[in-house]
Amino acid sequence: MSGGVDSSVAAGLLIEQGHEVVGATLKLWGGVSDSGCCSVADVDDARRVAQMLGIDHHVFNYTEEFERHVVAPFVAGHAAGTSPNPCIECNRHIKFDLLFERAARLGFDAVATGHHAQVLERDGQHYLVRGADDQKDQSYVLGYLAEDQLATLLLPIGHMNKSEVRVHAERLGLRTWDKPDSQDVCFIEASKGREVFLRSRIKVTPAKIVDRATGEVVGETSAAELMTVGQRRGVLPGRDGEKRFVAKVDLAAQTVEVGRLEDVLISTIALDDVSLTFAHETLGEGTEVLAQWSAHGIPKKATLHAEPHWHLKLAEQARPVAVGQTVVFYRLNEPEIVEGAALVAAQ
Amino acid sequence: MTDILYFDHAASAPRRDEVVEAMARWQHGVVGNPSGSHRAAREARRAVEEARDEVAQFVGAKPGGVIFTAGGTESCHLAIAGVVNRHRRAHERTEVIVSKIEHHAVLDAAAMVDRDYDNVTVKYVGVDSEGIVDLEELESLVTEHTALVSVMSVNNETGVRQPLDGVNSTVRQFIANEAVTHTDAVAAAPWLHLPMTTAAIDMISLCGHKIGGPVNSGALVLRKDVALDAVTPGGGQERGRRGGTVDVAAAVGLATACRLIRAELADTNERIADYQQKLQSALSFLPGCRLTAPGAVKIPGTVHVTFEGLASDEILFLLDQEGVCVSAAASCSSGAAEPSHVLAAMGISNEQARGSLRISMGAENTEAEVDQLIGILAKVIYRLSE
Repeated sequence: MSGGVDSSVAAGLLIEQGHEVVGATLKLWGGVSDSGCCSVADVDDARRVAQMLGIDHHVFNYTEEFERHVVAPFVAGHAAGTSPNPCIECNRHIKFDLLFERAARLGFDAVATGHHAQVLERDGQHYLVRGADDQKDQSYVLGYLAEDQLATLLLPIGHMNKSEVRVHAERLGLRTWDKPDSQDVCFIEASKGREVFLRSRIKVTPAKIVDRATGEVVGETSAAELMTVGQRRGVLPGRDGEKRFVAKVDLAAQTVEVGRLEDVLISTIALDDVSLTFAHETLGEGTEVLAQWSAHGIPKKATLHAEPHWHLKLAEQARPVAVGQTVVFYRLNEPEIVEGAALVAAQ
Repeated sequence: MTDILYFDHAASAPRRDEVVEAMARWQHGVVGNPSGSHRAAREARRAVEEARDEVAQFVGAKPGGVIFTAGGTESCHLAIAGVVNRHRRAHERTEVIVSKIEHHAVLDAAAMVDRDYDNVTVKYVGVDSEGIVDLEELESLVTEHTALVSVMSVNNETGVRQPLDGVNSTVRQFIANEAVTHTDAVAAAPWLHLPMTTAAIDMISLCGHKIGGPVNSGALVLRKDVALDAVTPGGGQERGRRGGTVDVAAAVGLATACRLIRAELADTNERIADYQQKLQSALSFLPGCRLTAPGAVKIPGTVHVTFEGLASDEILFLLDQEGVCVSAAASCSSGAAEPSHVLAAMGISNEQARGSLRISMGAENTEAEVDQLIGILAKVIYRLSE
């Protein structure tokens, strides 16, 4: 429970359904955040919601694990010129790994969260399905969940629109808990941003920005680690007036290459074999999927190939994808169903 | 509340009935301002001064040395910030020495003055593997600039007693200046005869709710005339050392708790020491259990152990399901169990500290409760160790 409306309503609905519910908040970040030192404000909100719902509430401390599985890899990834997604790593290693194990040890039958996604049971198999609210769908950040985890996961608000969730919140007397949805990385202060955080951990690399089309140096950046392959924001148009996109970040050479869209488009995405997770055994060589590589990105048709390394062949060219991002595969003929996920590898 | 087994006295002790009754008179209707001059004020002042006498006797100091505060944290803060502020204005350099195992009431006050003033430096003295302050290291840290040395009487997590006489002689032996000593006696107060154990120390911090008194009551007791600034000036109360109207009910509650502790000290110590023995030997049979600071002298009320490979969070959760109130010793304001700075200072690994558990008893606990606790603990630990 975060104290936000989604997890609060999720808890309230489960209680109404007759489940024996205990609230848990994970303390993940020990440093300063937007909600104060070690997220005390969020924990306070969650505790207050639990009190209003009349359930016990516990705070579990996972700061060490969070540092090890999420923050350190985030920093290391940037230092190596990749762009890991800390929220996905957190879901994968903390929420749906350590918390699931703990819940089982403590005698719970299921873990519930307020994510906007659904679990579908069909022929004894469990499938992760997109949330009913297109705008809020979080199936992407849960893409790594495996069958055994899905079997003990409850997502009580996944079939609702956000507005329905708010109606329930009001009905349950939780309407004061209309916190804005959290959007940002919890350990980075919005007012200071990624650069300040990274500078506190690593030496960032100043770099020249080179236009691929002309070979000219067109600018410079104080921290190349913050430039993500495929990004356009913050990149000036070329001399020809056309948009430019980040094509390549080379920390060793201290250069960031930008190019016109047609110069940077890709048609394959290499996948990190080790990270590849199949929700079911329906994926394999030649499977056609809908691939999505950002939280609210548009799924693109692609084919999965195993040789020589796992990779995706895109049906249409696309803007480049940064190494370290996660690609989630959705079923082609049932585009709501998640089939698996993998990290993007270097080409 | 029914059906709970309360073993978290070190976090907050049960409020004594006698305390509640004594305070009742000062919690409704006309309560004069003790600084005033009419009969209601005089009556209130008299209650405050009687309370002051009682607290002074509890510590073995003069009544004039008792400064009523709103709790242990404020007492420690006043001792540190008060002395440092006075000292730093008259000296070029001001050094403060605190132990690494102090409560955050002391550590954070020290960190604050260190941060805020260029001419103030805080030094930290370590402990050995039994959690006892290293007097040799302390000796090496004392200089002519030392203004204040603060070492707690008993550690609140481990229950280990600290060598206060040694602290005093170490400080006095090597410097001829006016260095002041302070001890946070919050964890010690329910167990030790303070007039004796803190006899060598200049300033003693007390907290009401750890001895069965009300929260928001406490005192800083000066054994000698220490020069300190008020941290909250205004009104000149408490001889100018703590501004703000004295809370008569809180002072009376604190004094009543002191009186009860003093009267029952020997009996309580004897009885609870038996329970401590019993608990320690029972726990030693549980898988992965290690007694913290096995060789140190401790107060009878605290049993601190670690369970190898287990997480405090999970032990506490299952104990809570059974109605047992204990703690993992250190918790942050979020309520989560924190890696303990005390155990870290003792050289205990983070890994081992993760499975720590503090059972803290008080005069109210019975042998039957201890037996129940042992049964439940065994069940929980075996379950998690499967």
